[in-house]
Amino acid sequence: MEQLFNLYFDFGFMAEHFDEVLAGFWVTIKLSLVGGFFSLIWGLILSVLRQLPGRVFAPVRWVTIGYIDALRGIPLLLVILGLSAGLATLASEGTIPREIGIPQWLGEEDLFWYGVMALTLTYGAYMAEVYRSGIEAVPRGQMEAARSLGMSHGQSMRFVIVPQAVRKVIPPLLNDFIALMKDTALISVIGLVETVQVGSDLYSTFFIPSGYTLGAFFFLLVTIPLARLVDWQIKKQDEKFQRGIP
Amino acid sequence: MSGAILSVSGLKKCYGSLEVLKDINLEIGMGEVVCVIGPSGSGKSTMLRCLNMLELPDGGRIELHGNEVFGGGKPKNLDVLRQEVGMVFQSFNLFPHMSARENVSIAQTRVRGRKKKEADERSVELLEEVGLGEKVDEYPDRLSGGQQQRVAIARALAMDPEVMLFDEVTSALDPELVKGVLDVIKGLAKTGMTLVIVTHEMNFAREVSDRVIFMDQGYIVEQGKPDDVLGNPSEARTQKFLGLVLAR
Repeated sequence: MEQLFNLYFDFGFMAEHFDEVLAGFWVTIKLSLVGGFFSLIWGLILSVLRQLPGRVFAPVRWVTIGYIDALRGIPLLLVILGLSAGLATLASEGTIPREIGIPQWLGEEDLFWYGVMALTLTYGAYMAEVYRSGIEAVPRGQMEAARSLGMSHGQSMRFVIVPQAVRKVIPPLLNDFIALMKDTALISVIGLVETVQVGSDLYSTFFIPSGYTLGAFFFLLVTIPLARLVDWQIKKQDEKFQRGIP
Repeated sequence: MSGAILSVSGLKKCYGSLEVLKDINLEIGMGEVVCVIGPSGSGKSTMLRCLNMLELPDGGRIELHGNEVFGGGKPKNLDVLRQEVGMVFQSFNLFPHMSARENVSIAQTRVRGRKKKEADERSVELLEEVGLGEKVDEYPDRLSGGQQQRVAIARALAMDPEVMLFDEVTSALDPELVKGVLDVIKGLAKTGMTLVIVTHEMNFAREVSDRVIFMDQGYIVEQGKPDDVLGNPSEARTQKFLGLVLAR
């Protein structure tokens, strides 16, 4: 038992390799923030496309629904592997420009951007569904009032519906962000040196898994406060709607 | 009366197999105040909502100032129609994330293209007119139902519409708040604005309107001067309805 404890909680080892794991975790944070940012935007675009009215936009709605269904149904791991393989191959064949196929934007390596793209594609689909639930939760009368004032569908969405919907979906979006952050670990599969990959490298060198443990601690340091933030937000919203009920 | 501002002919509306409006023919004159009464389910609100295309009619023709805005099964010049026809709802539908002033300003800047400052000045002016000069910066959840409804009226007026539609605007209000809203509408009637009012307030209808329309089962059954329709109805269905309503 003590042996097991020492294997996972080798504090000397952790102190010695603290900087390496921290550097890996910094990549995890950057991935989460950049991927989360693009997912938020892509998800909003998808949800608005999905709600376009009228017969003219029916094809747009179908394509959007098809995309959302597909990306929610495919494992993120597959998206990461497929995307990086495809882009790298197409770029090396010269089918697409190298700057796009093997991106080095903002001083980050191509593996980082493959990760961001995969996260955005998948989590955009998840978040689109969250936004949709928020948009649908805005009472019908709001759209009617906006339209009756002569606003177009687009203006009504932008100034009336979406601002209300976004407030309603902050907690579920934060939940998706926590899930996204944990899923950045999958990007280690293409060799990006983030938290998990650092732990894995340490293990294969020293056969001590305490690097994993330290990485797990780092995750918890961020995810637990985020989870508390979600609860607090939900409580705040409940209080607003249930004023007076003990 | 200087010509019809709204004219409706053969208007039909169905929800699935349920025919809500069967054959509505109606002319609203410039400056006329028309109250629409009738039992629930008679199609009053649906007719009103068809007038600015919140419900798409299934047949018939609607003209605004002689220009066709619905015909051949399709709406035309929808944005123009909605800019000229203001609507106030039973459930207020104020935008909860905006202050009273912003509620009144938003369509002025986005639809009418007014400058923000100009729109805000007009909003404050209108809010003062409906007796809410003190509340311009309050958010809807801090206002009573009656106050919210008056903001909603100011919001519709801010577009300078030629016609205002009122859809049972006092039905969701506590009794003591009804008068304030009705007084605002009476004030509008005096300014010569064209008003179409769906209401259950019979005394108000008698006092304010030039014409009362009684609807039942998707038809206009009877219409005429308020004293005639409300005081001495000629149709049996009108008599029965008024008997039930006024007996309270």
